[in-house]
Amino acid sequence: MASHFSGVLQLTDLDDFITPSQECVKPVKIEKKQGKSLAKIQIEDDGSYVQINQDGGKQKLEKAKITLNDCLACSGCITSAESVLITQQSHEELFKVLHNNKANEAEQKVVVVSVSPQSRASLAARYDLSSSEAGRRLTSFFKGLGVHYVFDTSFSRTFSLLESQREFVERFQRKEQDKNCLPMMTSACPGWICYAEKTHGEFILPYISTTRSPQQMMGSLVKGYFAEQKGIGPQQIYHVAVMPCFDKKLEASRSDFYLNSAETREVDCVITSGEVQKMLEEKNVSLSDVESAPLDVMFSSVSGGEFLSHAGSGSGGYLHHVFINAAKQLFGEEVKKLTYKTLRNKDFQEVTLEKDGKAVLCFASTYGFRNIQNLVQKLKRGKSPYDFVEVMACPSGCLNGGGQLKPLPGQNPKELLQKVDELYKSERSLSPEEDVRVAELYQSWLHSVGEERAKELLHTQYHTVEKMTNGLTMKW
Amino acid sequence: MKEGLSLVQKLSGHPDSRCWFVSWSPNGTLLASCGGDKTIRIWGREGESWVCKSVLEDGHQRTVRKVSWSPCGNYLASASFDATTSIWKKKDNQDFESLTVLEGHENEVKCVAWAPSGNLLATCSRDKSVWVWEVDEEDEYECVTVLNSHTQDVKHVVWHPTQELLASASYDNNICLYKEDDDDWECRATLQGHTSTVWGLSFDAAGQRLASCSDDRSVKIWKDYSSGSGAGGDLSWKCVCTLSGFHGRTVYDVAWCRLTGALATACGDDGVRVFKEDETSDPDQPVFSLSAQVTKAHNQDVNCVNWNPKEAGLLASCSDDGEIAIWRFQEED
Repeated sequence: MASHFSGVLQLTDLDDFITPSQECVKPVKIEKKQGKSLAKIQIEDDGSYVQINQDGGKQKLEKAKITLNDCLACSGCITSAESVLITQQSHEELFKVLHNNKANEAEQKVVVVSVSPQSRASLAARYDLSSSEAGRRLTSFFKGLGVHYVFDTSFSRTFSLLESQREFVERFQRKEQDKNCLPMMTSACPGWICYAEKTHGEFILPYISTTRSPQQMMGSLVKGYFAEQKGIGPQQIYHVAVMPCFDKKLEASRSDFYLNSAETREVDCVITSGEVQKMLEEKNVSLSDVESAPLDVMFSSVSGGEFLSHAGSGSGGYLHHVFINAAKQLFGEEVKKLTYKTLRNKDFQEVTLEKDGKAVLCFASTYGFRNIQNLVQKLKRGKSPYDFVEVMACPSGCLNGGGQLKPLPGQNPKELLQKVDELYKSERSLSPEEDVRVAELYQSWLHSVGEERAKELLHTQYHTVEKMTNGLTMKW
Repeated sequence: MKEGLSLVQKLSGHPDSRCWFVSWSPNGTLLASCGGDKTIRIWGREGESWVCKSVLEDGHQRTVRKVSWSPCGNYLASASFDATTSIWKKKDNQDFESLTVLEGHENEVKCVAWAPSGNLLATCSRDKSVWVWEVDEEDEYECVTVLNSHTQDVKHVVWHPTQELLASASYDNNICLYKEDDDDWECRATLQGHTSTVWGLSFDAAGQRLASCSDDRSVKIWKDYSSGSGAGGDLSWKCVCTLSGFHGRTVYDVAWCRLTGALATACGDDGVRVFKEDETSDPDQPVFSLSAQVTKAHNQDVNCVNWNPKEAGLLASCSDDGEIAIWRFQEED
């Protein structure tokens, strides 16, 4: 099976020969009863393993199961993680929850779907709709299936952008004291984070922005604020994110985003744009024929029935917003338009702010593994001139994410990407500072929980994955 | 005089270790070897014999698997199982200094090759990827692309003699051909035919044909049938000849002499063989015949064969027994 993960992840610690369940070397603890040491193990016709004790008694042996968390904590292969993910986070799981809701009304879960603007654009391109229209029809489709709320992650991205802006200014101001605070690198791309944690660990992690990604900001909003408002526990909500990216499933599964007390994840399930297309196909529905539905405005960036977006790149516009804010906050410069200078290739661009003929801010965007590689090597050699880097694992960024709809037979991939890009950018953009409702939430919700808790809700942390020294992983 | 391979000299190249690879400098005066002892050795001629001029140590922490000379002969690149590629610069004498270390591959780097322009360098690894690096005027190396077209360990990379066309060979039994398009590199053709690991590749002088050798004990000749040299078009290379029945074990390396057209092979049966093309044969169905062979060329597996680029018929080979042999291939007059 071809891997769905981004190229960066595919390269990370993949083993030549390991296939899932076949040769996983992660030690698994098995509860073993002390007792007679002699026993035979027999394989039954159905493939199950049975232990035959000396007294002739039979005992079915439990299969050692590798959970996703085992996989993520391991520096071995990630192919196992992939098969675990597919069973835990898929559109079938969402169907199952919706089915259970109908079968058992007493234990109904509130089902929330948060759709990314990149996914909307990808589906809009397939059905020749505007991005907003695709969003309205998706809302209708999901609600028809029994979903209760459909939100938009542009809304939670406003939090990500505001927090990134603040974090950058704060880091810039202490750059003299702390050598590891610049360049600040974005953290919204889970493929990049996984690669950084597994391959560069302690060296690179201090540079990575602690700001949560839009997906996980939405996790905080839905399982925190929204649950409170509704007077229900976080575990009573089933939160699904629709993302342009397969790696987002890994992000949702991080222990940092697991609510221990409620025993639930902030995002229960991530499905890709392509998987939404699969859902439509399985239900024999074309988005062209779906009636549009009014949008759930609670957590959506909407004005007059149209979605609002953010300026800058199709990967969230981090560089754009942090740059404009930093220019103003740190140097009193009002930047109207950013000038991107293309370096080695279109996926490596630079923006600088000059003051009195001197470059005072130097930002870059690096997409795709080759550019990430050069950035990391520059950093290692002390030759990085950058204060801020928008890092994305996929070439061309999130609009070209691995979870987006694939070109139809005969469709040119570059032209499709161009179309998705145009649809995405045709939505009117809103400056994060001007979002009144986000400002209100800062005031009402985040202020009320206290500074420390607010930080937890808006930020996260990263962990070095230790290389395993287990003898079993030795390569000869 | 009858054709044949005569031994010029044997060198105790990498004692108590394996010698993995030998490579002649572009002007043919120096031979670089590398091995399991983590060193690179530079050999030069003194009078009639070849002697070790220099030992490059402390560059790598594990086996050095391959070495490649830059086209100008002033740089040497080495690929190591320690996951790095080192670039060495020649000083005034025969000595080399370590210039830079290229990091990025996840694990063992299996091969390195310098493009004919000298601006590009290709590496491949057990991590299944092929990387292309670009060198600037300040001897800085940047990664231009990471190609993930193979599904297994990539054993070998080689550049076309005149074009910026790269070929790679893998444990997945395939050969991939890459070209740059727009601003990234792409796999433009996958040559399928070998039934086991492809270990080595070599282009002929004109670059119209590619020889490959494999664990399936055969050598295949692939010919370029691509229409035009347009940038966007797919490449079309077809197998026009398979040499089977000559090798007792895995064929680890193949080398096409750019001066004489002779094809040499290194084999796991300890033998070195030279094939010649029947010049009267149909170019679409060429016939190669065994011209010379030394069945016990080395005491153990022969890992590599390499033709001297300037002195016709001078062939170097090396083996798991740690030795390097220099041969003279004499053609029938």
